[in-house]
Amino acid sequence: MTEKLSYVGNPALKNVDGIDKVTGRTRYVGDMVVPNMLVGKVLRSPVPHARITELDVTPALAVPGVKAAITHADFVDDGSFGWPIRDAFMLAYQKVRYVGEAVAAVAAEDEEAADAGLAAIRFAYEPLPVIASVDQALDPEMPQIPEISPTGGGNLSNTHLLRNGDPDPLIASAPVVLEATYELPHQEHAYIETEGALAIPEPDGGVTIYANCQSPHLNRDNAAQVLGLEPGRVRVIQPPMGGAFGGKDDVVYQTTAQAAKLALKAGAPVRLILNRPESMAASYKRQSMRSHLILAAEQDGTLRAAKADLTVDTGAYASGTPLSSWRATMHAAGAYRYEAVHVDTQALYTNNGYSGAFRGFGNTQASCAAELAIDELAEQVGRDPIEFRLHNCLRLGDRTMTGVQLDQAVGLADCLTWVRDRSDWAAKRAAYDAQPGDAPHKRGIGVACYFHGSGLGGEGLDFATATLTIEHDNRVTIAAGLTDFGQGSRTVFTLLAAETLGVSMDRVRVLRPDTQTALDSGPTVASRASIVGGNAVRITAAKIDRVLRMAAADLLACLPEQLVRDGERYIGPTEEPVGFEVVVAHAREMGFQLSAQGRWQIRPIEWDFERGTGEPYFAYVFGAQVAEVEVNRRTGRTRVLKIWAAHDAGTILFPSGALGQMYGGIAQGLGFALMEGFRFEQGIPQALDFDRYRIPRATDVPEIEGTYIRTSHPEGPYGAKNLAEPVMIATAPAIANAFYQATGHRVHTLPLPNLAS
Amino acid sequence: MRLTFTLNDAPIDLEDIPEDMALVDLLRDVLDLTGTKRGCETGTCGACSVLIDGRLARSCRTKVADIVDHHVTTIEGIRSPDGGLSDLQTAFLAHGAVQCGFCTPGMVLAGEALLRRNAAPTRTEIRRAINANLCRCTGYQQIVDAIEEVAALRRANRVADGEVTP
Repeated sequence: MTEKLSYVGNPALKNVDGIDKVTGRTRYVGDMVVPNMLVGKVLRSPVPHARITELDVTPALAVPGVKAAITHADFVDDGSFGWPIRDAFMLAYQKVRYVGEAVAAVAAEDEEAADAGLAAIRFAYEPLPVIASVDQALDPEMPQIPEISPTGGGNLSNTHLLRNGDPDPLIASAPVVLEATYELPHQEHAYIETEGALAIPEPDGGVTIYANCQSPHLNRDNAAQVLGLEPGRVRVIQPPMGGAFGGKDDVVYQTTAQAAKLALKAGAPVRLILNRPESMAASYKRQSMRSHLILAAEQDGTLRAAKADLTVDTGAYASGTPLSSWRATMHAAGAYRYEAVHVDTQALYTNNGYSGAFRGFGNTQASCAAELAIDELAEQVGRDPIEFRLHNCLRLGDRTMTGVQLDQAVGLADCLTWVRDRSDWAAKRAAYDAQPGDAPHKRGIGVACYFHGSGLGGEGLDFATATLTIEHDNRVTIAAGLTDFGQGSRTVFTLLAAETLGVSMDRVRVLRPDTQTALDSGPTVASRASIVGGNAVRITAAKIDRVLRMAAADLLACLPEQLVRDGERYIGPTEEPVGFEVVVAHAREMGFQLSAQGRWQIRPIEWDFERGTGEPYFAYVFGAQVAEVEVNRRTGRTRVLKIWAAHDAGTILFPSGALGQMYGGIAQGLGFALMEGFRFEQGIPQALDFDRYRIPRATDVPEIEGTYIRTSHPEGPYGAKNLAEPVMIATAPAIANAFYQATGHRVHTLPLPNLAS
Repeated sequence: MRLTFTLNDAPIDLEDIPEDMALVDLLRDVLDLTGTKRGCETGTCGACSVLIDGRLARSCRTKVADIVDHHVTTIEGIRSPDGGLSDLQTAFLAHGAVQCGFCTPGMVLAGEALLRRNAAPTRTEIRRAINANLCRCTGYQQIVDAIEEVAALRRANRVADGEVTP
């Protein structure tokens, strides 16, 4: 590329919202106060599965200070919602299906009155047998959790399959076969800001809602549906958000609908903010997953075939599981060349909370299992784990496990060699192999790698829109449908607009996501904001750039093609250069419209869900990580000493933000490996606060040496691919593989065991 | 109770404050200083961190009765002498130590508390100093980078001002 870029990839770029955040001026929804605001509170189920025999909120209304109280009956269609399976409710209907499920809600003048109101609600139930595991869910004798089975098969919520060739004869004849089962646990998002909404009734019967959801348009459409209002009367505004990681969609739709209905009934604003135990019980989780894998290889370690059976626990509601279990299916055998692969996936309803989207979206679990198995297979054939991976990993021109040929740069081998060389792999491997068996502290070093399909792929229509306007003061505003919940999209959109228009970043401002000003762009999920939303911003900015070039050419008495840009200046062949503001003024005089809309959509790809064949994604991200651990044999404690990480995410747009995503993803992967694991016992969550559900602290996370290797994808904005989710995927299996070298104990379930002797 | 204390260098004198009120509630709900966040209300996450007499404290576990006549500093009181961003706030921005920003006020205060008692912390000491503050976004590395850089900067400035010899 000969184009000189001012902002794309500039290491000095800073988060555009950073000043407000470091000064504490940012106002999250819990910081917002409006006159006459009521407090919203929710009655939640204490039991995992029960039929509701009595639910009467009228006694709550008699409590002084209580202004409104609602149940499912206050919503259209009993508040049913859910996509792709409409099986969930804004407030429990007929049954409660998990501990923490919202049953009823009140709005009151203060906390005490709201608590008294909740206590006054008449709520009685008859316990039903608890389905505490996927195995119990498969038992036809057990009761069915959903009202209607989406598959007609009891508690089976959905299935997926992948059919690439026929692995059976290859497995039958292969000299080396590994068969193993891995169990990956639930994980809690643990965003530091809990879920919340502030709903303000409008004089026209509509409602304005500030809600910390990832996808304001989907939230609005759900709220409008259950409130019985036309979408134009429901306005959802997304305030700054304190983290999401995939976790702030469905549960915030529920919070939003509850606050909105309470506000409409009370005729006053209602703010409903979940406390930490409520958040941990009520919110959806990463689904637990069992992966049964069969891998077949030649004696030299050349992989030939794979079969995977995935069993996924979606809990009480399907939420995002039908989609994330599809992504898991597409990645279940890892980033390697195979001649044939079959995957069969089933997701099941249980009473273990409910599960949906969480960073990595199924691939975090699927790849973890694959990378643990690959390590075992490498050992079986007597090869070094990195050498084995380099021998088999995907390269340009190879076919992925779904049979798609890779025709764009594949940086996986480069990532593996980078982490190998930086970590001093060979020397450490040898040294740790030679440790005395009775050493008090034993070290290990391990590796994992991954691939991750970009965007929604076969999960849905993958598009985004943007509106750019040059305002009267010559500043540029962007209204975008994809949003920022901390990951830095607002900075990415700002820099892409500034780069494309050739203006200073200070001139560009991203508006608050607001369903009245931004166009629907689908959900902000799948790490797609930079690539899909970014392309929408880029092409919209390019439209305005063309208009301004015409105006500049008119001013400078030349053709638009003759113009050269230098910073904000337009330079023609003969006349004095002119600045951006002069060109904008001239464009206005010429009658040009200085606002444009643009839409970008990923090129069509086809996945046949019935046959399990097709092209699942238009692009892939790759990466590798090495982890070094130390296990204290007396206490059994495992400490991660250092992590090396290399990723191929195409052009890096916002370097310090991209590194932050990598470090943060690694910390979440480290938590998944060492300490998290959200456990249910007979459907009862075992930890509802940060004392018992531990997430990594600063002393748990080691120093990280990470890089993004240089590649470029022709379809991404300035060559960028996605990165926020992929960066966490290799962490947990790399740690678990290092743990094996330290202890000799093969890991088949997380979190890692304590082997204290 | 009548509550007198110093908040961000300004005297505060309030009547009719319940003795058992948590400091976080006073700051947010009475004084409208919302930079101090509620993250868990069990003293585990550190989002509600403030400085009391320069030392890091969790405002959700501090009763207002315990701050009478003490100096409380919240994120709203952190600034450079000229009123702009403090050196530590600037470093947080420059190092990308800010993502969602919800833990950031507490992290800035935890860093500040450390730097006031230890002019030359190691990276391990920095990690220990922010250990009571949870961040789910950043993996902490850029926060450690920012605090480490400011420690060096302040040492260099003190040398330049002749306060200490190198």
